[in-house]
Amino acid sequence: MSTMDTLMNNEDLVSPGLSACQGCPAELSLRTAFKVLGPKTVLGVPPGCIAGVGVPGWGLKTGMKTPVVMPLLGNSASLMAGVKQAYAKIDPEVHCVVFAGDGATVDSGLQTLSAAAERGENIIYFCYDNEGYMNTGFQKSGTTPHGAHMSTSPFGPYSRGNVGFKKDVPLMLATQDAAYVATLCPSHVQDFVNKVQRATEVKDGLCYLHIMSPCPTGWGVKPDQSIQYARAAVESLYFPLFEYDHGTFTISRPSLRAGKKPRPVSEFIAGQRRFRHLTEEEIQQLQDDVTRKWNLLNKLAS
Amino acid sequence: MLETRDALTGNECAAHAVRLCKVDRVVGYPITPQSSVVEYLAAMVANGEMSGEFISPESEYSVMSILKGAGMMGERVFTATSGQGLAFMYEPYFSMSTARIPMVMAIANREMISPVTVWSGLQDTHSVRDAGWIHLYAESNQEILDSIIQGYMIAEHPDVMIPVHVCYDGFYLSHQSAVVSMPDQEQVDAFLPAPNVRQMLDVNAPCMVDGNTPGDLMMEYREDHLWSMKQALSVIEQADAKFAEVFGRSYGGLLDTYRLEDADEVLVVIGALSGAAKDAVDDARSQGRKVGLIRVRCLRPFPSIQLGELLAGRKAVGVVDKSVNFGWSSGIVYQEVLGALGKARLNVPTLSAVGGLGGADIRKDHVARVIDLVHECAQHDKSLEDTVWLRPDMLQD
Repeated sequence: MSTMDTLMNNEDLVSPGLSACQGCPAELSLRTAFKVLGPKTVLGVPPGCIAGVGVPGWGLKTGMKTPVVMPLLGNSASLMAGVKQAYAKIDPEVHCVVFAGDGATVDSGLQTLSAAAERGENIIYFCYDNEGYMNTGFQKSGTTPHGAHMSTSPFGPYSRGNVGFKKDVPLMLATQDAAYVATLCPSHVQDFVNKVQRATEVKDGLCYLHIMSPCPTGWGVKPDQSIQYARAAVESLYFPLFEYDHGTFTISRPSLRAGKKPRPVSEFIAGQRRFRHLTEEEIQQLQDDVTRKWNLLNKLAS
Repeated sequence: MLETRDALTGNECAAHAVRLCKVDRVVGYPITPQSSVVEYLAAMVANGEMSGEFISPESEYSVMSILKGAGMMGERVFTATSGQGLAFMYEPYFSMSTARIPMVMAIANREMISPVTVWSGLQDTHSVRDAGWIHLYAESNQEILDSIIQGYMIAEHPDVMIPVHVCYDGFYLSHQSAVVSMPDQEQVDAFLPAPNVRQMLDVNAPCMVDGNTPGDLMMEYREDHLWSMKQALSVIEQADAKFAEVFGRSYGGLLDTYRLEDADEVLVVIGALSGAAKDAVDDARSQGRKVGLIRVRCLRPFPSIQLGELLAGRKAVGVVDKSVNFGWSSGIVYQEVLGALGKARLNVPTLSAVGGLGGADIRKDHVARVIDLVHECAQHDKSLEDTVWLRPDMLQD
């Protein structure tokens, strides 16, 4: 089925009404992913934006047309591994899926995620990365970029913003031999759909899909600019799209194209409130980090 | 003869009980003094002695999380832990009982850090007595084995649906061998039917589990949980009685009593220290003193009415604890006993004794001292204000 057919014909398995912020691409990514995953899917959504907007429901009402459970912040990979182990005996075709934010994934959930990959648990783990704890008020997470002004890493006379550097969990999981790892971006839907499709075909281990998810509210940009920023993240190589499939790295086509003539990272950060205090040196530092990471990825994929 | 007899450690007994209960999934992580429970089970699965699956994740936090996932699918699941492991799994542990998933967990009890200790003490499970689980405490290796089998019957009872832990003193029971009767598989199958637990996550009947819940609904869930805790009191007694019919062994259901009938002065104890305590009671009886003993087998739900009935008309009560209640500066079971006395409107003098922390020994002579102090309470009709510490040096003077 073509990407268009998938998106046009398959049922939207997410509740028609959710309370996500205007322009939230995480909601869009969830809807898109479920058009590929289909109804024979069990979903786990830990605390975070997508849980907060009502996907696991409220009171006695559910936000999904598939079974859905809200794990704890840090245990999604383990909990859904338990569901999958039991489901494998009943119906091995059922997908057991996590849809978690970056805080629940790269911070408190990293131990359980890494262990699930090590054990070869056949779950599909999505991380929508909006680069902070956006549901609780824009606190810094392990994927917050260096220098970003966040509510727990504020810029001020004695601070230059976030002291940490964005943690690269896709590469981390690839180098510990997860079965399938990919980076996805809602600005590049065909690539997005292909990667989810590939994940549904993998039966011998953990699939980890890391989605760039610009947060209009937290990044301080307009709701109608979120896809624009998503595209800029890919085209500036700030967020390269790639796959790691059973030992082989492949840079995805949108990023191969972008790599021929990348936009400067300054175009990606322009207009974002969280970066507006950065000096030219600090922006250059970000650019150098992006170039270094891109070169590494090219070596891995060569 | 259906049963066979063998010398086994408490941890081996726990593993054999799990095998006999035909558990679908064991998830195990090593921690002293429990480790050999999950080692035995891993070996049983590897050798084909057990048909279930064994999973070995990276922490107790994941242990309880995987169990919750599989438990939501209706599987019969098990793990064992101790001390720090229980503390580390606290978050999914609490959500296991409140999601009403009926598993059994063995706890080889261990003192809590700081300072560092790996030895015995009941502080680990006593500190989580109000996290929604059922607490059974064993006195012997045989009781560990038998209580795990009873535990699945209790947990999976439709009026209960609450996970059970079967607790036993680390090292004293976990590592010491005793002769036990090993039930036959057919007997256990007849006693314990296959689980009839709902599969919560089903793609053919989609629903939500653990969604955001408003306060009014949360109150309903908690009220129902407390109602089920009350039902568990009689279900535990029924399970023990039915077990006695099939296997000929009983543990008193909620409260085990020893030479209590005409006793004026009563010791209340929990766990394996009851062995030394019963010997001390025997000594006192041989001197013509009317001393008896109650062993709390079930700490949650707390059998307050049953305990109040047993304590009515007594002249003094002494409670020996292997844990501390920091806020009350006494033992933990002691406060439970005070609650039962208050509920029954009994004005009986009491004392709290604490010993056995971090593997310290509670000897028969310690309990004899407590019996003397209980006698003083009875004579003066007055409770002892200060907690009695069962130290080695108290036996020297």
